[in-house]
Amino acid sequence: MLVSKRKRYLSGPDWVINTLDHMMKATTSAGNMSQVVLQFDSPQDENEIRTRLARFVGAFPVLEGSVSRDIKLAPYWKIPATTNKTLLFTVHRLDDGDGSAFLSLLEKSVNTPFPGRKEHLAFHLLNGTGRSFLAMAFDHAVFDARGAEMFLNLFQESMNSGGPVSGDIAFVSSSGLTEWSKKFLAGRNVNRRIIALSRSTPEVLAPPAAGGRSYRYHLLRFSEEETAYIYDRAYDEAGYLMESPYLLAAIIETVHDLFKDRTGSGSSYLIPVTMDLRPGLDQLQEIFFNYVSYLFYQVPVGDAGDRKALIALLKQQMYDQVKSGFPRDLAEASLLTRIAPLPLLGRLLQLPLKGKMATFAFSHLGKSAYRHCDFSGRRVANLFHMPRVPMPPGIGFFSNYYDKKLNLVIAYLEGLVDDQVVQQLDKGIRSRFGVVQPT
Amino acid sequence: MTIQEIERTLIQGIGAITNQDEAAIGPETPFPDLGIDSLGFVEILVFIEKTFKLPLIASDLTRKDFETIRSLAAFISRRV
Repeated sequence: MLVSKRKRYLSGPDWVINTLDHMMKATTSAGNMSQVVLQFDSPQDENEIRTRLARFVGAFPVLEGSVSRDIKLAPYWKIPATTNKTLLFTVHRLDDGDGSAFLSLLEKSVNTPFPGRKEHLAFHLLNGTGRSFLAMAFDHAVFDARGAEMFLNLFQESMNSGGPVSGDIAFVSSSGLTEWSKKFLAGRNVNRRIIALSRSTPEVLAPPAAGGRSYRYHLLRFSEEETAYIYDRAYDEAGYLMESPYLLAAIIETVHDLFKDRTGSGSSYLIPVTMDLRPGLDQLQEIFFNYVSYLFYQVPVGDAGDRKALIALLKQQMYDQVKSGFPRDLAEASLLTRIAPLPLLGRLLQLPLKGKMATFAFSHLGKSAYRHCDFSGRRVANLFHMPRVPMPPGIGFFSNYYDKKLNLVIAYLEGLVDDQVVQQLDKGIRSRFGVVQPT
Repeated sequence: MTIQEIERTLIQGIGAITNQDEAAIGPETPFPDLGIDSLGFVEILVFIEKTFKLPLIASDLTRKDFETIRSLAAFISRRV
C-alpha cells in the first residue's frame, strides 16, 4: 500500500470513469460531469459564499490533480503540493417571475466544460430575490455523486465548527499490480455475465440525427406528503426497504410505454444501476474518487407491463447479483482495463452488446449524505443531482431523498427525446407512483 | 442456536456490511438507525441466507420483523 499526499493510484472504476470522460469530451460539449444543486428559499450573499467556498476548496490540492502513469504504467492521480487556481465561481441573475428559468441556467452550467485538464470543480450561483440555487459542477474523476454530497457536508461542518480545514490528505492506495489470479477470476465471472446479457438485444433510443452535444433535464419534485405516500406504496408492493426496485419498476413500465409506441426492435430492457462500494475505512479519504460499481437488470419486454412480476424480477436479480458478488467482481476486474489507453478502452467498451450498452441508466442515491438543513447560513429547501449520461444510452433517471422529499431527475442528450416524450415520461411516472398532480 | 447467539451473529454481519463498529450496534438498535438502503438490505439478506440457510428475499418480511436486531433474531429463530 502506498501512503502519499501527492499520489493516489486509480482504481478500476476510476479508470472507467476517466474513459467515459474521454468518450464524452469527444462526442459532446463537455466531459463526464455532474452537478449537485442546493436550492434555497432566500437569496445568497454572493461575496460571502464565494469567499467561504474559495477558502474551503483551496485547502484541497487533490482537486487540482491530473492523471499520470508510473514506471510500471499503473495510472495514478498526481496531486500538486499546493493549490494555485482561483475558484471557478459564476453568478447568474434569476428571474423570479419565470418558474422554469432556473433549469435552463442549470443546464447551461452542467454543459460548460472545465477550462483545463487540472480544473475539476466549478460553482454556479443563481440568485433571485425570493430564492436561489447553488450548483457545484464536478468532474466525476474527483467525486462520485455521494462523494460530492459528502464534500458539501464537510464544508458545512467546517462552517459550524469555525476551525480551519486541512485537505492535504495522505491517501492510502495500491497500484493493484498483485493478486492477478483474483483479478482474472473476477474477470471471468464478469465476462460470463456479459455473455449472458448479450443473448438478448436491448431496446435503445436511436442517437439524435443532428448529433446532440448538450444535455437537458427534467425535474420531478415530490412533497413530503407525496414522498411518504410513494414510500408506503413501495413498502406495500415491493417490501421493506425496497424503494429502489419499486422506483425502477415504475420507470421501466413508463419507458415500456414509450417503446411500445416506437415499435423498437429489442427484446429486453437493460439497465445499469450504480452501487456504492465505499469500504468505510476513512471518511475524509472516501469523499474523493469513485467507489461505485454496477448491477445490471435485464427485463424481457414481455414482462415490463406487469408491475407485480416486474418487482419480483428486479428483487430477484438484485439478490442474485449481490449474492454472486458481481458488483465487487466488476470493480476488481476493471483493474485489468487500466493498461489500455483511454481512447482504446473507449472503443472496447462499445464491443459487448454491439454498442447497445443500456436502455437507460438509473441510480437511486437514497438518503442524502448532506446531513444539514442549512448551507452557509441559508436554509436548504431541496437538493438534487444533474448528471451528464454517457451515450449510449444518453438518458438516465436519477432519484435522491433529502429532507423527507424525493426528487427524480430525467437527464437526456439533446435531441434523443423531444419535450412531448419527456412530458409523457413525467405523467407516466407520477401516475405509477400514485401521485398524479404535478407539484 | 439461541436467540442471543443469533443476535451476536447478526451484529457481526451487519457491522461488517454497514462499516460500523460492532460495539456501536446493540440488540435494541432500531434498524432505521443503521442507515441501510435497498442494496445494504439485500446484502443483509444474503448474509442471513449464507449464515442461517434461510432465503428471505421472496418471503413476507414486514417492518415489524426489522424493528430491531432482536426482532429480526426472533424472526430467524422461528424459521430455522
